[in-house]
Amino acid sequence: MNSHGRIDVAPADWEQVVSGLQREGFTLFDFITVVDRGSTLEVVARVVNPVARVPTMVWTTLPADAAELASLCSIYLGAAWCEREAAEMFGVVFIGLGDSRPLLLRASLGEPPMRKSSALVARAIRDWPGAAQSTDDGRQGGNPSRRRQLPPGVPEDFLRDEPLVSGTTGDER
Amino acid sequence: MIPAEAHGTIALRASACTSCMICVRECPTWCIDLVSHTEQVSEAGARRPKTVNVLDAFRIDFGLCMYCGICVDLCPFDALAWSPEHDHGATTAAGLVQGIKELEMAWPPTQPPTGN
Ligand code: SF4
Ligand code: SF4
Repeated sequence: MNSHGRIDVAPADWEQVVSGLQREGFTLFDFITVVDRGSTLEVVARVVNPVARVPTMVWTTLPADAAELASLCSIYLGAAWCEREAAEMFGVVFIGLGDSRPLLLRASLGEPPMRKSSALVARAIRDWPGAAQSTDDGRQGGNPSRRRQLPPGVPEDFLRDEPLVSGTTGDER
Repeated sequence: MIPAEAHGTIALRASACTSCMICVRECPTWCIDLVSHTEQVSEAGARRPKTVNVLDAFRIDFGLCMYCGICVDLCPFDALAWSPEHDHGATTAAGLVQGIKELEMAWPPTQPPTGN
């Protein structure tokens, strides 16, 4: 028995395939979550057959700029929570999801925060400690011949205009 | 009873640290910060003096650290290691920032460093 069954479906078949699984005995809904692959988003639902104790993961791939998928709420009521979370964090639009109020964030926040394209504001307003060179001349404004180091995960155009290297780091212990 | 292999805190052996900045740059939460300067060291028989980094300050902000262990794994000089010490109590956020003195107090770790 394959306990890590994986089914890949086209977005159009998402609801129908999961509905079929539920009729076959996968009556327990576990979760829905999303993986950001850049230009695509992979959505995965995990359901379980509690009698046979067999889980199955259903995967589908959506274009990141038009991420729409049928809601599973009419099959599993509990899917609403995960779909609201996926909508809020990854910007997936679930068609047929009745209650799409955000769970945590203000609706006006903008880019869904779990998308890789969403840069953390906290990363832009703070100096990156790694910008300092490992010698003191780097500390004191940087050697222009050295390539400027960018923190991982921060897009180049997201940073402020001021130099990344701060003059001092406060008290020295 | 805290097991000896517990990931209680990150310990530093400052004498092994070359100020290479790898841990500072790879830390996902940006909670490591170090200050260093260079010194010229003349060795007998050497034609030119050698430039070495000298560590002045090394801080980990345990208010931000998520104990992922990336710094311990990546340090090429085994200057960082897990230690079962776990007493981070502080009454202010600034008190969670530990410097060389506090980080060295957790050394030696009771298990060998897991670095490369
Ligand atoms: S354990 Fe992780 S978060 Fe903490 S200092 Fe090391 S790299 Fe940074
Ligand atoms: S990676 Fe190791 S040697 Fe390099 S700065 Fe960090 S603690 Fe020091």
